[in-house]
Amino acid sequence: MVTDFAFLLQSIAWPLVLLLAWLLAELLFERWRIPRVTSYVAVGLVGGLINLPGLTTDVPGLPFLANVALSLVLFELGYRINLRWFRHNPWMLALGVVESFVTFGVIYWVSGWFDLPVDHRLIIAALSISASPAGVVRVANELRSAGQVTERVMHLCAINCILSVVALKLVVGYWYLSTSGDLVMAAFGSMYVVATSVAVGALMGVAVPWLLRQRSTHERGVTVVFALAVLLLTTAAYGLKLSPLLAALFFGIVARERRVHLTNAQRDFGTAGDLLSVFLFVYIASLLNWADVGAGMLMGLLLIAVRTASKVGCNLVAARLSGITERKGLLTGLALTPMSAFAILLLEQTRLYGFAPAVAVLSAMAGMMLVQELLGPVVTQRALMTAHETHVTKE
Amino acid sequence: MPLETFKSSDSLTMGVELELQLVNTYDLDLSSSANDLLELLKRKPFPGVVTPEMTQSMIEIATDVQREHGPLLAQLQQIRDTLVRAGDRLNIEIAGGGTHPFQRWFEQRIFSKPRFQELSGLYGYLAKQFTVFGQHVHIGCSNADEALFLLHSLNRYVPHFIALSASSPFSQGVDTLFDSARLNSVFAFPLSGRAPFTLSWDEFANVYFTKMESTGVVKSMKDFYWDIRPKPEYGTIELRVCDTPLTVERAASLACYLQALCRHLLERSEPPPEEDDYLVYTYNRFQACRFGLDGMMVNPKTREQISIREDILATLRKIAPHGQALNSMAALDEIERTAGRVGNHATFLRNQYRESGSVQSVVRASVEALRTGP
Repeated sequence: MVTDFAFLLQSIAWPLVLLLAWLLAELLFERWRIPRVTSYVAVGLVGGLINLPGLTTDVPGLPFLANVALSLVLFELGYRINLRWFRHNPWMLALGVVESFVTFGVIYWVSGWFDLPVDHRLIIAALSISASPAGVVRVANELRSAGQVTERVMHLCAINCILSVVALKLVVGYWYLSTSGDLVMAAFGSMYVVATSVAVGALMGVAVPWLLRQRSTHERGVTVVFALAVLLLTTAAYGLKLSPLLAALFFGIVARERRVHLTNAQRDFGTAGDLLSVFLFVYIASLLNWADVGAGMLMGLLLIAVRTASKVGCNLVAARLSGITERKGLLTGLALTPMSAFAILLLEQTRLYGFAPAVAVLSAMAGMMLVQELLGPVVTQRALMTAHETHVTKE
Repeated sequence: MPLETFKSSDSLTMGVELELQLVNTYDLDLSSSANDLLELLKRKPFPGVVTPEMTQSMIEIATDVQREHGPLLAQLQQIRDTLVRAGDRLNIEIAGGGTHPFQRWFEQRIFSKPRFQELSGLYGYLAKQFTVFGQHVHIGCSNADEALFLLHSLNRYVPHFIALSASSPFSQGVDTLFDSARLNSVFAFPLSGRAPFTLSWDEFANVYFTKMESTGVVKSMKDFYWDIRPKPEYGTIELRVCDTPLTVERAASLACYLQALCRHLLERSEPPPEEDDYLVYTYNRFQACRFGLDGMMVNPKTREQISIREDILATLRKIAPHGQALNSMAALDEIERTAGRVGNHATFLRNQYRESGSVQSVVRASVEALRTGP
């Protein structure tokens, strides 16, 4: 006879919530085409709100698991990046870089209207550069979307993420320098981490395809090997205090250049990827503290407006130059709206590595994150649908 | 509406249409990107014509009316270069080949044009399975009766064109064991196959077409998916059995082979076509699709069996003077090389698969072949 219901509830909280999130997502997608990830986030937020035991208390290993889930997405995103495209169409690269700088600048400037320390403003600006790969990739795959908006969103998202990590690492370096005056520590905190993460990811990107070429591996096998390699990479990155996200992204980019093909059916890493994705979004949402949400909401909404305007504006200006219509440029900018999963994990990880302001920033950005998490994927989805890059005929 | 009058055109002029695949650079699957590519191409003059096709992952290009191999090839190469450059700008690869080796037909999107939507409504899943890529060659005819004479005289040579152009051995991820699996998709359509036998345009237009139209099944010649069909609005006959080859060079050679053959047939030195020729038509067609150049065909006149390869080589010897007269010996040489030595593009693709073990590599080889030529 079970008597300790609190203990039982605590034990089953995670699987129960995940199952619920999955069921809700299927229902809402079927009925109103609401992106599944939005439902996962909603369930995570409600879980956090009602303070479900077992969900909100620290469970060891969860941040790691979330990083693995996001690393898989980042690997897939990296694998979609065609470096040769930047050579054939340099406007794409220029757009990604300029837009990142503009977004950083305007967010830093506008956040100055609020009562925030400079280092917090710098962190918020650095994180605002990023677009959420998990949101973008998941939504695009869910719709089996294809076309210029989809392609561009993927490539710009990768550039945004790289520059966001670099900017954040520089901010962390600056913080170490200003608080401790230790130049070596500062340099270690920034450039070393970035360079080593890229190098480790790239090394994996050379090694794994080489390994796969040594023996003819069937297509599902290729996907399994890549997934295990991402797992290894994430573990190693933790051990070396590197950025697992940056490493996974470069692993994908370099592996793509070494040309071992994933099949169409293995997008999202199949069922295992689906499972991790449910967890990732629920977990990220559960990290937000509702008490912070209300306080930062006004600033959050303003920053979202400014960030969106920056991304849309830059894409509009570059649309014709880079070979698409203004309409598709506008939709590309809008589709880059999601940002939270990547930003939250990045912040969380920096906190784990001893960066004190991360906690305060997460709480300052709670309102922004909440809105972005819930609505970002919807905006991406509607942008792709408006661009007619999803199915025209009903199956 | 009665069939329009057959417009007279210069005999033996030619035009080539190629349906091409749009492929994403990520996993080399088909990419629904026709809209984006066509939008970009609109900004500058295009060296020919480019139009959307049934699904978003295909486009069709067409040359101007040409008389000789040199200018035809030059225009095709110009078109190819323009397309490849535009594709590079949008991160889209372009490839020939009669089928995409592993695309999933149910994922294809019907191009949002009333005619395509209407066809999709009528043919259901067949419309999406029609995501196959062919080369069409038009040959100009001075009058309608000449068109029907050529159309039916060519019946015994149809296997040549299937075998020479075959470049669709893979479908839905597997080797079909056919050199041209594409034609099996075309054959599923109710109005495919051969044209009815008549050598009189008057009878074709006023009896056959009028009867068909009265059934409500057809509205125009576009509704027929015949292997060779008359095109009254252009004043041509249109050969439709070829897979899109992997290179524009091969496409130009096939067109010039047809042109030289038509010149030979117009000399009327061969026995005239008759209904009985079609007794072996479907069998010969099957042999060409299944075994390519190694297929065995039956000569409808003599009833003798001969390998398609041998028959092509013999025909080349016969039509060499016409090749000289038409300035297309370079094209006929390539046809001879294909039939006699290097084999068709289906063989090339199978070799790629054998070496790499992956259908993605087959697509990559197709993409490279279009870019770099033979």
